[in-house]
Amino acid sequence: MKQVQRFRPHSQSTTFLQVVLAGAVAVALAITGCTKKRFDEKDTTLNVALPVNLKGLDPSNANDQYSATVIGQIYEGLLQYNYLKRPFVLEPKLADGMPEISKDGLTYTFKIKKGIKFQDNAAFKDGKGREITAQDFIYAWKRLADPRNTSEGFWIFDGKIKGLNEWATAVKAEKANYDTPVEGLTAPDANTLVIKLTGVYHQLSYVLTMPFSAVVAREAVEKYGKEFLNNPVGTGPFMLVKESDWVRNSKITLKRNPNFRSDLYPSEGAPGDAEKGLLADAGKPLPFADAIVFSEIVESQPRWQNGLKGNFDWFDIPKDNYESAVKNKTEIAPELGAKSMALDITPALDVTYIGFNMLDPVLGKNKALRQAMSMAYDSKTYISKFLNGRGIPSQGPIPPGIDGNEEGYVNPYAQFDVEKAKALLAKAGFPEGKGLPELTYEGFSDTNARQNAEFFAQMMAAIGIKVKINSNTWPQFQEKIKAQKAQIFGIAWGADYPDAQNFYQLYYSKNKSPGPNDTSYNSPEFDKIYEESLKLPPGEARTKLYVKLRDIVAEDAPWIFNAHRLGYRIRQGWVNNFKWTEVGYDYPKYMRVDSKLRAELGAKF
Amino acid sequence: MPTASSSSADVSTSIVAETEQSDRHQRRARNSLWWDAFFRFKRNKVGVISFFVIMLYIAVGILAAVGVLYPNAQVPNQVEAYTSMSWAHPFGSDIFGRDILGRAVHGITTAISIGLLASTLSLVIGLVLGAVSGYFGGKVDGFVVWLYTTVDSIPYILLIPSLTFVLGRGLINVFIAVGLTSWVTTARLVRGEFLKHKNRDYVMAAHAIGAGNNRKIFGHILPNVAHLAFVQFGLGFVAAIKIEVILSYLGLGVDPSQPSWGLMIDDAKNEIARPYWGNLTAATLFMFGLILSFNLFNDALREALDPKMKNK
Repeated sequence: MKQVQRFRPHSQSTTFLQVVLAGAVAVALAITGCTKKRFDEKDTTLNVALPVNLKGLDPSNANDQYSATVIGQIYEGLLQYNYLKRPFVLEPKLADGMPEISKDGLTYTFKIKKGIKFQDNAAFKDGKGREITAQDFIYAWKRLADPRNTSEGFWIFDGKIKGLNEWATAVKAEKANYDTPVEGLTAPDANTLVIKLTGVYHQLSYVLTMPFSAVVAREAVEKYGKEFLNNPVGTGPFMLVKESDWVRNSKITLKRNPNFRSDLYPSEGAPGDAEKGLLADAGKPLPFADAIVFSEIVESQPRWQNGLKGNFDWFDIPKDNYESAVKNKTEIAPELGAKSMALDITPALDVTYIGFNMLDPVLGKNKALRQAMSMAYDSKTYISKFLNGRGIPSQGPIPPGIDGNEEGYVNPYAQFDVEKAKALLAKAGFPEGKGLPELTYEGFSDTNARQNAEFFAQMMAAIGIKVKINSNTWPQFQEKIKAQKAQIFGIAWGADYPDAQNFYQLYYSKNKSPGPNDTSYNSPEFDKIYEESLKLPPGEARTKLYVKLRDIVAEDAPWIFNAHRLGYRIRQGWVNNFKWTEVGYDYPKYMRVDSKLRAELGAKF
Repeated sequence: MPTASSSSADVSTSIVAETEQSDRHQRRARNSLWWDAFFRFKRNKVGVISFFVIMLYIAVGILAAVGVLYPNAQVPNQVEAYTSMSWAHPFGSDIFGRDILGRAVHGITTAISIGLLASTLSLVIGLVLGAVSGYFGGKVDGFVVWLYTTVDSIPYILLIPSLTFVLGRGLINVFIAVGLTSWVTTARLVRGEFLKHKNRDYVMAAHAIGAGNNRKIFGHILPNVAHLAFVQFGLGFVAAIKIEVILSYLGLGVDPSQPSWGLMIDDAKNEIARPYWGNLTAATLFMFGLILSFNLFNDALREALDPKMKNK
């Protein structure tokens, strides 16, 4: 699961600030007589911006997109998506070939690649990473189930694997430990992993791409205990070499993992990829970069300015910079183009929404009130104000491009209509808001998020509903939602895998907070159809159920549907093999920096 | 010898009423410290002008608060976002189409109420603690000195945000947080004055005729150190306004539904990239005017009240 900020920063012209910055740099250079180049000609480091502060690097808690991005470089799971093919195609990662699936669809047998080693770490004997075995996966997945871990990722296996939930209950009662076998997870030999399911689970292969399911070394968990989230040890292309490489709330530097397995750049892609030069590196060993530096910059303008100066290899376009960065909606502004920057537009496969806490005594039991608030919210204006038109108003949870999104569907409660909203509010028992207590909206403290919160409060004020705004840091915000303490909150969901189930599980009552159902929505009718849909393979029958599910959540309105976004980002001219992937976090290993070109262009910025 | 009757209210009303009655008063009370200070203040042109500027700010703030000026400053008009300067919107309009001038005017209300409440709170705490500690000495003094040293040792820029984290956002909480943390200087100064005064003849005389501690502290010594309180009040006012702006900018200040210069500057942080300057210009101009006048006024007041500066 990945939660993403609603206010994903998106892109500007030469501003006064740039002039000042340029001036300051010039003065600094003049004073120091500095002639050192900004970028080394041999430096292949990738520089990436993160818009939030990292929570920690434990894969069992990789539930927000940004932590997962970093975790995804260090840890690996059994499967991955082909980097270039669209629609997404699964391929083996640590698995040696795709799994063997029994005829009834209940048994998956994975072969695990031989000779894959953990990153070197003091947790291992002599500090040398040992070879991974099937037992390591079993251990990692038990960690997800372990109630003492309060993992945010257990939903991927919850009730799905034979004996795993029973094991978790036994652990809680202190009647089992990690050495107690689980029926559904067995390793006949070191390189074979057999998974037995309780029922058909078509999404299993998808969730095995997610950082939650990544392989973890038991020695490391036991050595570091609570500090495990600060001492990641995986098998991935990059690793945290020393503690000091991570400066909290500032940046984290990951270096190439010398033990990394042989992994090659794909030699086939989607149609047109060859023409774009995306196959030039076919068959070459990965990763290309020697290091990745993730800089945590919460505010959009410093992120943007750093990007323009070449300090980030790709970066989003903030709303206030859109007009100066993009021309005619699809072209990059000439000033930026002259610096050989390029514009990348990829639909985000996400939905932004405003969630109501369904356990709240006021909101939870009053459907008409939620519908009224939904109709009082103007997502079209939101899109033009905050996304510069880069998005479409969402009618349901499923974004276009994923099966279950019905083109042309109009959700009656997702239409902005003040009069109807007022009528519904009266029906809810609060004519013109009379008798309704003040509601609280939880958001985060950066400027865009505050403006979003204000926008919501204004929309509600127009029908007489008073809303108080609370700002939080991203970790605080998530804490509140997990603890079911947020009354109303604005957030977004990005697809973990290309299946509508990934969105509908957000309403499933068994997933309620701290699970991914962060509104704690509970509808027996929904649950029944959802459970039915899980049993079906992709196809018409399942799509029909998905449409039924959508109608239930549209009517019940636990969310105000806001927008499906289009991701706009800028890529520097020196980054090769850039193909934005909306699901999965493997992309950095494929990116290749032309360091010579960066040194040359960077000197002119 | 100053008398207890010349309280702060007398001074301020007198300054407002100023010229018409001054002659008569001049004759009657020429020798009082307060009248003396008043006449010296009057001679300081910069001080008088800044005083009137402050009064103008207060008047505008009150008019905005009661809904005479810009009653709709907070009402959004989503269609008219980011309009450029015009007669209708001298500073343009913001992201939600609200008139920036109107928001800045309502910002005065927020700023002045924070300044007034916070500096009153800190003055009361500072005066009482300073007086009690200076007057009684001993263990009481030891405790108060320990208390203010402890409070003072924590940088206010950390202390105030942590208090607002605990108390939550909003106007009231900001003024409590500022008030609770900014009384140290007043307490220290008042304590020093009390140490100096408590053994003076006039206090002894009061004691001799049977005045109790309360009477001696509040009836006799306090009026003699009240000029300090005035100056501290003015300084605290400016500091509180600045802190409110900083807190709101950082997202810890007033509720975003309230107009605040800090929030306007926070909006401007992203908008200068557009480039759009309305919020930044309006907020900084309004803040500049108020804080400059207050600083000049404080200087003039201190000069007028400080006996050592009498002949300068």
